[in-house]
Amino acid sequence: MSDRNSVLERLSRRDAQRLEKLQKAHKAREEVDASNENEDFFSGAFKIRSEYIEQLLSQIPTLETSVLTAHFDNIKREVNELQKYVVTSSFFLKEFNMRKYLGIVQNLQSKCYELEDQYVPRKKFGFTRKKIPKSDNQKHNLDEHDGVDKIDSNKWDDKLFGFDSLEGKVLLLENDVLFQRDVTMRNLKNCTIGLKGVMGTLHLTNLDNCIVLSGPVTSSVFIEKCTNCKIVTACQQLRMHTSTKCDIYLHVTSKGIVEDCMEIRTAPYNLRYEDLEKHFNMSSLDKNNNNWDNLDDFNWLAPDVPSPNWSILDVKGRVNDWSEWWSKIPL
Amino acid sequence: MGFLTILKKLRQKEKEMRILMLGLDNAGKTTILKRFNGEPIDTISPTLGFNIKTLEHKGYKLNIWDVGGQKSLRSYWKNYFESTDGVAWVVDSADARRLADCARELHSLLREERLAGATLLVLANKADLPGALTLQEIREALDLDSIKTHHWRIVRCSAVTGENLLDGMDWMLDDIASRIFTLD
Repeated sequence: MSDRNSVLERLSRRDAQRLEKLQKAHKAREEVDASNENEDFFSGAFKIRSEYIEQLLSQIPTLETSVLTAHFDNIKREVNELQKYVVTSSFFLKEFNMRKYLGIVQNLQSKCYELEDQYVPRKKFGFTRKKIPKSDNQKHNLDEHDGVDKIDSNKWDDKLFGFDSLEGKVLLLENDVLFQRDVTMRNLKNCTIGLKGVMGTLHLTNLDNCIVLSGPVTSSVFIEKCTNCKIVTACQQLRMHTSTKCDIYLHVTSKGIVEDCMEIRTAPYNLRYEDLEKHFNMSSLDKNNNNWDNLDDFNWLAPDVPSPNWSILDVKGRVNDWSEWWSKIPL
Repeated sequence: MGFLTILKKLRQKEKEMRILMLGLDNAGKTTILKRFNGEPIDTISPTLGFNIKTLEHKGYKLNIWDVGGQKSLRSYWKNYFESTDGVAWVVDSADARRLADCARELHSLLREERLAGATLLVLANKADLPGALTLQEIREALDLDSIKTHHWRIVRCSAVTGENLLDGMDWMLDDIASRIFTLD
């Protein structure tokens, strides 16, 4: 008998424990499932808040100018809050509804900006006025930096590969030193420059009365501030700036351009030297594709009238054989 | 405006970015653009005017504007500033000669009010060439550390090898996205 009682007692205790546990779990679930985190509650709250913003917007025409800025700030804050509310509720909103609510917020926002433009346009103006002295200041700073930069770029002169500041010389470089490099010829007068090799890029800056005989250049040739020069070169792109009275014997596979140039004449590339064929292959320039007679002039954009700044060098005026020129100093 | 139109506009607005590629001539802007788009890069001419490419990357629709960098075109750059989200400033790392020019153009660009807030990515292009300056040298020459008005980053890259191009672009897209699409 006592056995039976003890079993019953144990069973009922167990039952009570189970019930307690269930209740606890139920309670915990209820706490998590906060009643305000459902779509119905959200749509109600959203409606109240968006209508409040609408109301603030509708007050604008009746308000005095002095309080408008604060009023707009208030509206923007409300709109932002509302937007945050939508975004933080995203985990229980259906995607379609989410988009709908965001659309409404967006609409309120643009309405607010429209009205602000209409009623407080002065704000923008004030902003610009404040900025002017600042930018003047910055400009001043930049000029100072400019000076520093110029010194700096001298610092990098030892990185440049090529010749600088020479007069009346014959300068010759071969492929073993030239291969795929960025080559610079700068500040030269009455010089002959022979470049028997494949280069990455070639920069010719401030040359006066020089002859440049160059092998193929894989990417671009850059000519700047050159006068009275004869330049024989092959490349993918040619860019020529602020130069006058130059003859270019050119092989260019894409396009050549001139800018701020005068009296430029072009002819097809006609250089010959022993390894030229090999160098062409190494440069991967297409030998059959040459646009030497079609330069773009950035100062002359009329398509139907040819540029007065460059022309095709008359066949009779061309140098046909350069073999004697490699070793000759230009007069 | 109908309801669907609002949604559509919102949707498009969320995913679209406008990126402006600028820099001195011969920096490699067009080559970078073509490389991105998977087009051949060996037939590129100096840009007379501009190129525009629309491409999809990381779920964003990118409108990339590549405007010619020749001196005579730089005065037209301002026509492209409106609603720009990011500026990719392309530098020829091997061209030490014109770095001072490059710095001047960059800083005058950053003073532009219509570009306020745009993310700045400096692409130190042609880094694979022998004689290219180091990242630190370019950073100093362009005085990048003085830039407080824009989020900026500089990356070494090469349009020819494709090295680092995507990394740089991804950073810029993330930076823009965190600024304008915080809702996502």
